[in-house]
Amino acid sequence: MRETPLSNCERDFIKTAIAEKKRIDGRQAYDYRHVRVSFGVERGCCMVNIGDTRVMAQVSCQVVEPKQARPADGTLYINVELSPMACPSFEPGRLSDFGVEINRLLERCLKESRCIDTESLCIVAGEKVWEIRVDVHVINHDGNLVDGCSIAAIAAIAHFRRPDITVSGDEITIHPASERDPVPLSVHHMPICVSFAFFEQGKYLLVDPTDKEEKVMDGRMIIGMNKHREICTLQITGQMLLLKDQVLRCSNIAVVKVTEITELIHKALENDREERAKGGKYGFAESVPKNKVTSNHKVSAPVDMETVEDHVTSTFSQNDDVIEIDSDAASTSESDDSVVIMDKGSGAIGLGGPSTWNVDDEMSELKEENKSNTTKTKQQKSDTNIVVSIDDSSEEETTEILVEPSIQKQKKKKGKV
Amino acid sequence: MAVDIRLASTCVRLKPESIDELTNLVTPGDVITSDTGFMRGHGTFMEDGKHHASVAGVVQRVNKLICVKPLKTRYNGEVGDIVVGRIIEVGMKRWKVDTHSKLDSVLMLSSVNLPGGELRRRSEEDEKLMRYYLKEGDLISAEVQSVFNDGSLSLHTRSLKYGKLGQGSLYLVSPSLIKRRKTHFHNLPCGVTVILGNNGYVWVCPTEGEVSEQTGGYEQNFEPVVRADREVVARIGNCVQSLADHRMMLFDTSILYTYEASLKFPVKDMMKPEVKTEVIDLARQRLERDGT
Repeated sequence: MRETPLSNCERDFIKTAIAEKKRIDGRQAYDYRHVRVSFGVERGCCMVNIGDTRVMAQVSCQVVEPKQARPADGTLYINVELSPMACPSFEPGRLSDFGVEINRLLERCLKESRCIDTESLCIVAGEKVWEIRVDVHVINHDGNLVDGCSIAAIAAIAHFRRPDITVSGDEITIHPASERDPVPLSVHHMPICVSFAFFEQGKYLLVDPTDKEEKVMDGRMIIGMNKHREICTLQITGQMLLLKDQVLRCSNIAVVKVTEITELIHKALENDREERAKGGKYGFAESVPKNKVTSNHKVSAPVDMETVEDHVTSTFSQNDDVIEIDSDAASTSESDDSVVIMDKGSGAIGLGGPSTWNVDDEMSELKEENKSNTTKTKQQKSDTNIVVSIDDSSEEETTEILVEPSIQKQKKKKGKV
Repeated sequence: MAVDIRLASTCVRLKPESIDELTNLVTPGDVITSDTGFMRGHGTFMEDGKHHASVAGVVQRVNKLICVKPLKTRYNGEVGDIVVGRIIEVGMKRWKVDTHSKLDSVLMLSSVNLPGGELRRRSEEDEKLMRYYLKEGDLISAEVQSVFNDGSLSLHTRSLKYGKLGQGSLYLVSPSLIKRRKTHFHNLPCGVTVILGNNGYVWVCPTEGEVSEQTGGYEQNFEPVVRADREVVARIGNCVQSLADHRMMLFDTSILYTYEASLKFPVKDMMKPEVKTEVIDLARQRLERDGT
């Protein structure tokens, strides 16, 4: 089923924002979203989250006859599934063009770069070899599927253990996991794909595009590289032409990214190995952070807060503590910063600045008036922050707001409400 | 920047309004009737001699025909419906239009008014200049001319009231909330024009002056819209969204009553839950009083 197309306003907005070096989720041009690699209970099962994009890979093995041309080599088979669960435009069944593209990219990146030693997968030359099969399922599509699939595939391959075998004359024994510990695959290097999205005929470039940015981009370049600075695959798609120094620049950026991501995968593998060695719990269920109200974990906002700091230090120079965060630095002098309790169970901080749309002449006069009024209502400074809980009749829900002490006056008023 | 804080315990849940509708609600797989005398319509299937529902919705019975009208669905076109759509592709003598249906709708080159308003055969030149008339991303209002076998729609804009849409706002609601009326183009007294597309796309724009007859529906007015007009458009848009959130039918009277009930709130406060509930309650009471 087709998705609702992006409106012209949204397209223009995203393009204009990129031209001003801003991305709609607040990242810098070369920043990745938060990448998370977690492993399942079964060996060879890996789930990768890049922001909201989720990909899961599972590795399995089977004994088969080798190819005629290479009787002493095992085989690596990669299968990518785009399920309609990920995006309504993915159809079930036959792989669409996009799916074939991802499949082919992964094959080039993993098979042709020889990241696994296929000769070690041979059991009996000419008769029996191991076939390693990597199934990659896309669970949610929020842009940059290629990167997600490649990280998931290589992490799953590194995590996988195949059964141990002993060859005695003509007899081959495949030992189950209970008899002998399974053996890891020999991974020479970890090739990882990094995607670049280009806008305006190559003038602006972004790393790790989200779904909306992908819909608006001119073209895309994918560089598959490992941490030893070896390029494993390179692909440019879309309607654009690139200069060679742009390609070189992108490969330099890719080196940095690939090193970081390889670090991340190694760390995740280490954690998993330690947990398994200790006998502790491992798997997806354990890697999900518990959502408790008392566990105070907040992902830091990626929006640029640098301009705010200047304002805070200049007006609150006597006060040591940082009071509040107000993201509109330009016109914050007008807004009132204490909490205003509107109704039972709801409050508001700030009344908003003046409209920054098309300012007409009459509006600018009003702005002058407002400015003069509200400079008088600047809040008093005090020494400490106070944590105030606003309770309602039910004890379960309490909201805690870190505010300045002028809230105390408001709170007393609330008692009468 | 204004930040709103709300306690989850004070959040008001929407209550279902009409109780008699509830007795007819079915979910996929529910048995509607075991009587084999009924013919099965849309949204039902027969199994073991019993009629089951295949979608979640309300059961409707007309004489011997049983069908289930789904609550949430893609738009199913009928001949004569007004739709608002967005051009997705420019192809050979046709444009592909997105109308939130299961398949893309088609607008043939022969079904549009050429700019300049002349009536003539479409030539090769016209085909090459298609992109100058309508390109990808443009919004149009059109009427459904016919429905193909597979369910896709063929549209036409062969009247001066249809054509490319200019400056305004588009709101997407569920197609089941648009009431079927004689006309879907409403000029509200507050100075906006509302086009309620049957496919759930609602277009709100400031009312134009006199529409010139010669242009054939392609001339777009790019003069900047004054702030007062933009506020009214935004307010009507918020009314449409509030009505959709409360699952109320959208037609000109309901939008107008909601608009009048919302006048005492500033536009930007209208999307707060408590304001929405209050405005919708007032509008609903007024509608019930009027007997619609």
